[in-house]
Amino acid sequence: MYLMQTSVIFFLVSISAKKGATIPVLLSTTEPVKAVNYANPLPHVLTLTAIVVGVATLGVGLALCAAIYRKYGSLDEQDILEKLK
Amino acid sequence: MSHQLPAIIFLLPLFAAISMPVVCLKNRHWSHPISVGTLVVMVLVSIINLYNVIHHGEIRYVFSGWSVPLGIEWVADGLASVILVLLSALALLGVVFSRTTSPKALGGRIVHYYTLVLLLISALTGIAFARDLFNLFVFLEVAAISSYALIGVAGGRALFAAFRYLVLGTLGASLYLLGVSYLYAVSGTLNMSDLAERLPLLLHSKALVGGLLFMFIGLGIKMALVPFHAWMPEAYTYAPDSVSPILASLVTKVALLAWIRIMYWVLNATIIINEIPILVMVAVLGALAAVIGATLALAQREIKMMFAYGGISHIGIILIGISQGNQTGFAGGVFYLLNDAVMQAALFFLAGVAYCQFGVRTVDDLGRIGKQAPWLIGFLVVVALGMIGLPPTGGFFGKWYIILGALEAGNYVSVAAVVVSTLLTLAYFVRLFEAIFRRGTTPMEVQVVEIPVSSKLTLGITSAAIIILGLFSAPIIQLLLDQAMPPRL
Repeated sequence: MYLMQTSVIFFLVSISAKKGATIPVLLSTTEPVKAVNYANPLPHVLTLTAIVVGVATLGVGLALCAAIYRKYGSLDEQDILEKLK
Repeated sequence: MSHQLPAIIFLLPLFAAISMPVVCLKNRHWSHPISVGTLVVMVLVSIINLYNVIHHGEIRYVFSGWSVPLGIEWVADGLASVILVLLSALALLGVVFSRTTSPKALGGRIVHYYTLVLLLISALTGIAFARDLFNLFVFLEVAAISSYALIGVAGGRALFAAFRYLVLGTLGASLYLLGVSYLYAVSGTLNMSDLAERLPLLLHSKALVGGLLFMFIGLGIKMALVPFHAWMPEAYTYAPDSVSPILASLVTKVALLAWIRIMYWVLNATIIINEIPILVMVAVLGALAAVIGATLALAQREIKMMFAYGGISHIGIILIGISQGNQTGFAGGVFYLLNDAVMQAALFFLAGVAYCQFGVRTVDDLGRIGKQAPWLIGFLVVVALGMIGLPPTGGFFGKWYIILGALEAGNYVSVAAVVVSTLLTLAYFVRLFEAIFRRGTTPMEVQVVEIPVSSKLTLGITSAAIIILGLFSAPIIQLLLDQAMPPRL
């Protein structure tokens, strides 16, 4: 699950990587801006947000796992299903 | 002032959710009045917003002044405003209902419950307003995370269901995000209206087709569309009784709203990509969901499980309505969405009362209630009329317009699917009533059970709303036709 989220994030990184570009902060205010020289800031922000969302989901998932373990004493799906019956 | 309304509606429950754990740290019993107060204000502001949108046109809200293709845009149009009124009203009823049911089931976690409910409501508000694909993803995830936590909040068997939901829900969200990044890579924009302008030039692109497919599968998981519905009945059945009405009536419906947005506001739904007509595809998916969901509902023994499968079949009926490609069908579909949200809330309130007051969970045990609480059966009859779709209720008019739309489009398979699903719905309610009125199965120990006022109130209001939506169906449909139509329909 987390692997999948991470791979989507890598996909975002891979489509936005740019050779020879720098961070999206203007180097000089007098020269005209050339978009080729700067990385696109948007995928960066998307990636960051996706990471935060992923961390939150992972946190809730682990909390649920811990609660299940405390209740059923096992994390094996087969064991738990038997105990549920 | 009025152009700030979308942000105000969103921030109300968000601020209440954030301040709840702090304010109620010492005084646990404050959490209920605070949530009720917040949601009452939210209902009022949503009604003002709807009035404003009807009379002065839609509100376009741009965050922190960044103009459209760069910044994040929210639009309060007719559709979002109508949904918002419904959403806030049902959330209010859900919270009122939880006054008596939740202290029993949740104990010390009551503050967490109210915090999560308010967070969920604010995220759903965000989904309804968002016109930015990535913003939509963030709110889908906030809504999803709060629902995982809400299902698991009381512990017990629900934990396992919540974990399964979490795994599938995260899969859906990741697929949606993958789809969004494909679309971004192809078109270079995330804003819906901007994207809608650029897409016609990109129709030959394979990345576009792949991205859209990923997005629709992701949203399909979120809204429990039939091949991806496995998480839903279990999660809603084992969730605490004060949680499942809110989840069942709102979460899947708002995910469906996101689907409608992408289908009509981003894509022009009538187009054909690579010889695949989208509308026909969605109509087939809807027909499958309508029939399979109702069939599975017929096979259930637990009441909540039966109602959850009923909800799955109704998602299919709504999809049939919106995929007819004409205004009648679309208005019918949206109207049925409103009705279905109310009916699902009413059904799960009933199931909650049946369990909390009478300890009844399965269909066979329902017979015990019959003599003790005839009024409960009365409410059930009203909701059943709505679910089956008999005349005085809103369910009838929703299905009526959907069928009219399908006939207009010459789509007889859709008509057949709606009819078959209706018959199956009739069949499982007949099963329910047969269990109630069967004599002599269980010894009748007539014991006086005091039904709390809040439960009676919520049940009364939802049952009345089912009838009222039917009686006033003509003006509501007219409103939807005038205000809530997609740009190119």
